[in-house]
Order: sequence, then C-alpha cells, then structure tokens
Amino acid sequence: MAGKTIVVTSGKGGVGKTTTVANIGTMLAKKKYSVCMLDADIGLRNLDVVMGLENRIVYNLVDVIEGHCRTAQAMIRDRKLSNLCMIPAAQTREKNSVQPEQMKTLCAELAEEFDYIIIDCPAGIEQGFKNAVAGAQTAIVVTTPEVSAIRDADRVIGLLEASLLRDIHLIINRLNHRMVKKGDMMSTADILSLLAVPLLGVVPESEEVVISTNRGVPLVHQRGSRAGRAFTQIAARLNGEEVPFEDESGNGFLGKMKRFIWS
Amino acid sequence: MPLRNADRPLPIQIKATRDGFTLVPDATTPFQEIMRYMKHRLDESHDFFYHSEMSLDLSARPLQTDQILELRCLLAEKAGVKLVEVKMREDLVCTLEPARTRPKAAPQCSSPRNREVTPMIVRSTCRSGTRIESPADCVVLGDVNPGAEVIAVGDIIVFGSLRGVAHAGATGDCSARIWALSIEPSQIRIADLVALPPAGNKPTPKRFEIAEIQNNMIQVLTL
Repeated sequence: MAGKTIVVTSGKGGVGKTTTVANIGTMLAKKKYSVCMLDADIGLRNLDVVMGLENRIVYNLVDVIEGHCRTAQAMIRDRKLSNLCMIPAAQTREKNSVQPEQMKTLCAELAEEFDYIIIDCPAGIEQGFKNAVAGAQTAIVVTTPEVSAIRDADRVIGLLEASLLRDIHLIINRLNHRMVKKGDMMSTADILSLLAVPLLGVVPESEEVVISTNRGVPLVHQRGSRAGRAFTQIAARLNGEEVPFEDESGNGFLGKMKRFIWS
Repeated sequence: MPLRNADRPLPIQIKATRDGFTLVPDATTPFQEIMRYMKHRLDESHDFFYHSEMSLDLSARPLQTDQILELRCLLAEKAGVKLVEVKMREDLVCTLEPARTRPKAAPQCSSPRNREVTPMIVRSTCRSGTRIESPADCVVLGDVNPGAEVIAVGDIIVFGSLRGVAHAGATGDCSARIWALSIEPSQIRIADLVALPPAGNKPTPKRFEIAEIQNNMIQVLTL
C-alpha cells in the first residue's frame, strides 16, 4: 500500500498552515482513512498544540531521523480517532539537523503504513521548506487574500514547480465575503488569475478557528461551523470526491470557476 | 548590469555602453582577484553575455599582454564573449578583431542589437523570485507575476499579463519595446528610462499593449 504524501505550505507565516493540516488530517481520519500528520517545523512546533496533544510528546521527528527511537514510538495517537496520529517536531533542535534525503526516506516508510501523510511545512523557503517538500507528491499552498501572502505563495509555487512537484492545489484562507463585496479585499477570482493553480477550497474568516485552536480541538469535530464545513469539503476534494463550490458571495463567478477547474 | 558597491570598488566593472559592453578593471585590485571576480560574474549571469562583444578599457589600469590574453580566453570559454578591442588611452584604441567594423557614428539612442541571436522563449509563467535575462529578445508564454524580473537586450513580448518588472533594451537600445496582452507592471524600464504605473485602475485593454519610448518618455499604448 502506498499512501499519498501531501505537504501544506505557504511561504508567509501565520496564514493557517497548521490549522489546515489539523483539520484536513482529522477530516480524512473521520472518513476512516489512516492518517499521519508530520510536523516539519523544527524549532517552532505547534501542530501538537492545535491538536491538543502537547502533553503526550515523548519522542519527536529528529529522534526518529537520528535513530534514537523507532518511528512508531514517536507517533502520538489522537484522543478521539484511533486511525489518526502525528509525529511532533523537535522544539529544542534546529532545522539543519534534518536533511531532505532523510525526510524522503521517512515519508516513504510512512507511506507503507498510512493512506495519507500530511506534512506541516515551516514558513519561509529555507532548509525547513526543502526538508518538508522533499518527500511529498502533492502540495497544498495556503494563502490569505492579502498581497503579501499571495506574493509569497506565488514564489513558493515557483519553487515547488522547480523541484518538479506538479500536483499543486490552493486553499484561500480567511476570506471575508463582506469585504470582497465592498471591494476592500481581493476576490477568489483575482487570486486564481494570478496564481493559476487549481482551487481546493475557500475558508471563510471566522472566530471559531481561534477558539478551536486554543481548545486544541479541530473545527471539523464541531457541527454547524462554516469554516469547519469548508475544511470538510476541502478534505473531500483532496480525496477525489466531487464537491460543488458553494456560491457564498452571491454572484455567479464560483460556478464558472468550478467549471474551469474541474474541466 | 554593473553592480555598484559604494564602499569598495569592484575588481572589474562591466559597463553597458552604446557600442556594447566595456570592461573596466579597477586600478588597484590584483589581477588574480580580477580574474576570479570576472569568472564569478560570468557564472552568475549564465548566458546573459552569450555571444556579445566586449571591449577592454585599460586607461585606468594597464594590463600585461599575457594577462589580456588570459582574460580574453576566459571570456571566450565561459560565455563565448569576443573581446574585440582594447583601449589603452582615450586616443589609442587597438582592435583585436580585424573583421570588425565599428558602428560608425551610431544614430543617437541606439545600440547594435544582434538580430541574428535567437530570442529566448520562456514557456511558463514567471512567478515571484524568477529572474530571466536574455541576450536578445525575450518571449514569455505565460504571465509575469509581481516579484519576477524579465531583462532583455532586445524586446520583451509577454503572452499574458505583465505584472512584474520588465527591462527591455537593457544595453541602452531606446528602440526596444515591451509587448504584453495586458501591462500592469510594478515597474517598466526601457534602456535607461524607468516608468511607474499611474495610480488608480485603468480600463482593460481590448487586444494588447505596447510600451515604447516616445519623446524621451515611456508610453504605454493600447491597441
């Protein structure tokens, strides 16, 4: 069995990579797939905090790579879903303690065991980025509708293409439909025309995200949350299901966009 | 483009002039240092200088014959650059290439553009962080996104939206033009002129747009 290795990256920090990883990972696990989340942000780990698993960490990614423990020992099982686990990053080490080749080997090893491996990439385009990308077949680029985030996303897409990673998808996070309507925020169509990669989903801006992060419970567990529903749809599309794009902005462009993307 | 370092003179300057490139070695830097730097610049610029012709200005710093030969070999091997003339003093120029005819009294604002060099074709969108240098014309089959730079000795043609930086006529050719399906750049340069886009939204063009120099100003025409 060969699982799918997905890296979630953005270039810019603070756009919601870790939240995306936590929610997509949880949602795929809810669909009964075996999922392993890998926190590649060595030195600044926080996927464990978002998942609410901080106090269970014994071994981390660098321990696995340096052979201090078996891979299975570093895996932390989720509190609710037994088929979901994560390997935390090392907090006390530096990014340079891991090499891209080692990550490739680890990803190949994990792909034998899991259906999905989701890698949380650090911000930036240095060593940590190269490590996180090394073992992946698919990339999800997360951006917010801000010019700075889009500029960085563009750069990252260029770097991913240069490293021969062709399966690239886009998630637009924290879109405020009201501001788009007023013309104060870039719309989905604007962003897509610039970045020109297939859209996986749009996550509306929401306070629920902050609350769920602080509680350590991913949003997709929560019923009736709009952002949670967006992540549910994203996970489904990632899984190859056809989910129509919801037309939340009130005009018909998403319908056109959908035809463009799924054609 | 010659990089200027304010604190320390460069071991050798590459100046773009009307007649092509001129190499100006620094008066005090040791020759080995000059050679090392020159090699580095050639590596760095890939084939930007490919098949171009350069002259060597020794009015500030005399070099020995074997040193000139060494430099000439380096240029030829690394980048296929021909060293065509050596200028000893303002009034003493010796031509190394007997066949070369100096472009006589070139009309103002033009440089010999080698039309025989095939244009560089970029078959993808230039994303942020990409830098493309072409020794001739440059054709981009895709967009030029903000944060990307396209620099060409000749014209730049973009089959897409130009949103990044474009520099046509990089060696001083004022007749160079920039063509794009839509020009909304962060900055455009032609020869030694720089233009910034006007503030505010502009109407979307019907077919394509051309930027060119008119009356010593960069104008963007919509067709």
